[in-house]
Amino acid sequence: MLQYTLKRLLLTIPTFFFISLLLFLVLNIAPGRPGAAAGGGDGERGNQEQKESYRIFKEQFNLDKPILLNTRFALEQSEVRELLVTGFNLEGDPSAAQRIEAQDNLEDYGNYLVRHLVPLLDDADPGVRQVTADTLTVATQMRFVNERRGDVKAAREKNRGISKQNTAVKQWRWDDDATEAQQAEVIASWKSWYADNEGAYTYTGKEKTWAFFLDTRFAKYWSNLMHLDFGVSTADRRPVFETVLSKLKYSLSLTFTSVILAYAISVPIGVFSAIRQGTKIDAAVTVVLFIMYSLPTFFTGTVLLRLLTEGEPVSWFPTGDFQTMTSDPMTTWALLKDILWHLVLPIATYTSVSLATLSRYARAGVIEVIRADYIRTARAKGLSEPVVIIKHAVRNGMIPILTLLGGLLPALVAGSVVIEVVFNIPGMGQYIFQSINLRDYNAVMAVLLTSSFLALIGILISDLSYAFVDPRISFD
Amino acid sequence: MTSANAESAQAAELAAEREDPTYGEIVWGQFTKRRIAMASTWGLVGLLLLAIYTPVIASNKPFIWHTVADGWSSPWLTSLFDRNFYENSVDIFFNTMLVVGTAVSIPVAWVFRNTKKMVRRDRQPRRKRAIQVALTVFLLSFGAIEAFPAQAPKKVYPKIEQQLEAAGESHTSLYAPLPYSFRDGNLNETRQPSSIAHPLGTDNAGRDVLTRLIYGTRISLTVGVFAVALYVTFGTIVGAIAGFYGGRIDMAIQRVIEVVICIPSLFLILTVASFIEERSIFHIMVIIAAVAWTSPARLVRAEFLRMRNLDFVSAARAVGYRERRIIFQEILPNALAPVLVAATFGVARAILVESTMSFLGLGDITVPSWGQILNTGRTTGIWTLILAPGFAIFLTVSLLNLVGEGVRDALDPKLRK
Repeated sequence: MLQYTLKRLLLTIPTFFFISLLLFLVLNIAPGRPGAAAGGGDGERGNQEQKESYRIFKEQFNLDKPILLNTRFALEQSEVRELLVTGFNLEGDPSAAQRIEAQDNLEDYGNYLVRHLVPLLDDADPGVRQVTADTLTVATQMRFVNERRGDVKAAREKNRGISKQNTAVKQWRWDDDATEAQQAEVIASWKSWYADNEGAYTYTGKEKTWAFFLDTRFAKYWSNLMHLDFGVSTADRRPVFETVLSKLKYSLSLTFTSVILAYAISVPIGVFSAIRQGTKIDAAVTVVLFIMYSLPTFFTGTVLLRLLTEGEPVSWFPTGDFQTMTSDPMTTWALLKDILWHLVLPIATYTSVSLATLSRYARAGVIEVIRADYIRTARAKGLSEPVVIIKHAVRNGMIPILTLLGGLLPALVAGSVVIEVVFNIPGMGQYIFQSINLRDYNAVMAVLLTSSFLALIGILISDLSYAFVDPRISFD
Repeated sequence: MTSANAESAQAAELAAEREDPTYGEIVWGQFTKRRIAMASTWGLVGLLLLAIYTPVIASNKPFIWHTVADGWSSPWLTSLFDRNFYENSVDIFFNTMLVVGTAVSIPVAWVFRNTKKMVRRDRQPRRKRAIQVALTVFLLSFGAIEAFPAQAPKKVYPKIEQQLEAAGESHTSLYAPLPYSFRDGNLNETRQPSSIAHPLGTDNAGRDVLTRLIYGTRISLTVGVFAVALYVTFGTIVGAIAGFYGGRIDMAIQRVIEVVICIPSLFLILTVASFIEERSIFHIMVIIAAVAWTSPARLVRAEFLRMRNLDFVSAARAVGYRERRIIFQEILPNALAPVLVAATFGVARAILVESTMSFLGLGDITVPSWGQILNTGRTTGIWTLILAPGFAIFLTVSLLNLVGEGVRDALDPKLRK
C-alpha cells in the first residue's frame, strides 16, 4: 500500500507536466493576437509608438519566443535578407499579409538576427543597408532582468547598464536624407560594437542546446511557475495567481455548503428509499430524483431567479451577487446573514443536481449491501432492525458515495461556470468565463492549471480511499 | 403450385422457430419487455420524426402558390434545398432526410415485410443489402445537394401576399400550420403573449418561439448523435489498441487518458470554443468529442484486457488471423456492450453540454439552439422563452436517460425477465 501510494504520488509529477504542456499548446496555438483586447495594438500597423509598445508587450509575456522548441540559432543569412526585403517592401511586390508576417518575424527573432545583420551592413543595395541598421537598433535591445527576485541591488545595477546600452544603440541609424559619410559613420560604430560583443551573438553547441529547449515560451512559463508565478493578467495587469486565490473563497463557500447539504439530505433519502424498495414511496422518490437529475442547472437557476426575485411574482431573494454592495460596516453576524441570504438560490440550484446523483448512488449502495449474508446474520442473531440498518447496512453501503467525494473535489474548487454566471457570483467559474471572453491567456491558463492540479489530487485521494475503506482491495 | 408454395412457407416458418436467438435478439427481447424504456424509445422516434418533418410544420414558404403573373408553383418544395433559405448544412441534411429518406424508406420497409417469414440465413443478407442501397442513395444525394447548392432569390411570401391583397389581385396560397421563419422576425410583433397565431408567443426580435423551438430539435439531436458517434469511434479504437497490445503502448495511452481526465472538461470546452471565430455546430461536436473520448476508451480497454487471453482469442490466433481482424472482428463485437450504454447516456450529456455552451453565448449563434433561446429568456425575462426550451431539453435528456437505463438493464444477465 505504501509503495503504491508513493508510486502514484511520483506519477502526479509527470502527469502535471503533461497537463501543463497540453494546455499550453492549446492556448498558444489558438488564433487571435493575445493582448489585442488589452489595447496592445491590433492587426493594424499603427504609428511607431504603438508598434514599440506592442513589441514590449510581447516581450513581457514572452510572446516573441517560439512556443515549444527554438531553432532560431540555425537561421541563414539569406533567410534574414529575404525577410528584410519582404518586410520593408524593397523588391518584388509582397502582399500586405506577407509583409506583416515578415515584420513580425524580424521583431520576434530579436537577438538571433544580430549575427547575420552585421555583415548585411555591407550589402550592395543601399535600401537593404538602411533597413538593416534600423532592424539592428531593435534586435539588439536587451531585456531587463527581473528585479523582484534574488539580489535586488545587483539586478538594479544591471538594469541600469542595460538601459544605457539600449538608448545608445537606438541612435545608430540614418534617415533617408543622410549623407554617405553619416552612413559610413553609423556602420563603423555598429562594427566596432559588434567586435566587442561578438561572443554574445554567436552560439556554441551547448548554447544551441540550451536555446533549443529553454529559450522558449513554455520553458519561461515553467521557470516562472516554479516560483508560483502565473504571470500577470493582460486585462488588469495584476498577478493572476493572487486573483485566482481571491476568487476561491467565493466558489468554496458556495460549493462546500452545497455539497455538505447534498450529503446530509441524500444519505437519509437513499437509505429510506432503499429499505422501502419496491413500495410506492420508493417509486415516487425515484421519479422525483430522476427529474432533478435530468434538469439542466442553467434552467433550474434561471427559473428560480425569475420566480423568486425582482418582485415578479415575488421578491424574496436578491437577483444575484455574493453580498450587498455597501460601504457601511456590518457586524460579522449581519454580514453572514447577508451572504447566506444571497446564496440561498445558488445553493439550492447547485444542491439539486448533486443531490439527485448522490441519492441514486446511496440507494444503489444500500440495496447492494442489504442482500449480503452478513445482514442476514445480523438479523438472525436478533439485532434490532435500526441497528442492522444503521450499523451494518448503511456503513458499508456508503462506501461508494464516500469515494465519490474525492472526485467531487475538483468540481468543488472549480465552482460552476453556469451558476456563477447566472447568479453573478465572482468565483472561479465566472472568472474563467470573463477571462475567456477577454482573451486573457495567463488568467485562463492559471485557472485551468490550478483546477487540473486539484483534480489530479482529488482522483488520487479517491483511488487511495477505495483501498482505505475497503480492505478487500489491494494494489500490490 | 400454390400448395407447394404454402408448404415451403410452412417449412420456413418451422425452421425459423427452431433457430436459436442471437445475442442481439436476446438483448432486444429483454429491452422490449421494459415498458418505460420502450415508451421512451418511441418518444425519441417521435422527436426524430419531428426534426425531419419540421418544414411541414413550420415554414414561411407556401406549399402552393398561385398568382396571375407567376402561375402555379411550390416555393416550399424548392426552398428545401435552397442555400439562401436554409443556410446551415444541418437543415439541408434533415431536408434530404425528409425528401430522399422518406422515398428510400418505402422500398426498405417493403423488403423487410417480404422477408419476415424467411429463415435467418436468407433474411439477413437481403435486409442488409436493402439498407446498404438505401444508405448509399441517401448519402450520394446529400453529397450532390451539398456540392451543388441551389440558390433562389430571397422572397418573403407573406409580405408579397399583403401587397397583392392591397392591390386587390387574386392569388392562392397554402401555408404550413406555423407560417414563420426561425431566423427572420416580424419587428411589429415583438414579445407577443401566447395566442392562436403564436402558440408560445414571440421573442424580443418578433420571431415565433414555437418555430424556433422545433427547429432547435434538429440542432440538439445532431450535436448529440454525431458528437457521440465521433468520440465513441475514436475512443473505441484507442481503447482496443491499449487493451490488446498492453505493455508500453497501454502505459502511454493510459498516461494520455489521465492527463485528459484531469482537466475540467467544461472549462476546456469553453476555452477552445472561444478561439473559433465563426463557430458552427460542427466545431462544437468536434470540441465535445475531443474532451469526452476517454470514457469509451477506458471501457473498451478494460474489456480487451479481460478478453485478450480467453480461448476464442487464442483460437483466432492459432488459425492465423491477422491482428487487425482479431481486434476488430473477433474481440470488439464482444466488448461493445458497456460502450453502448455509455453512448446512450453520452448523447444526453452532449445535448446538455451543447445547450450549456449556447446558454453562455459560446455556441453557434446562427442556429436556434435551445440553450440560446433560454438565454434570451433569462435576459428578457419572458416566461415562455425560459420554460419552453427548458422543458424541451428536460424532455429529450430524460428520454435518453430512460432509454440508457433500459439498455443497461437489458444487457445485464442478472436482471433478465
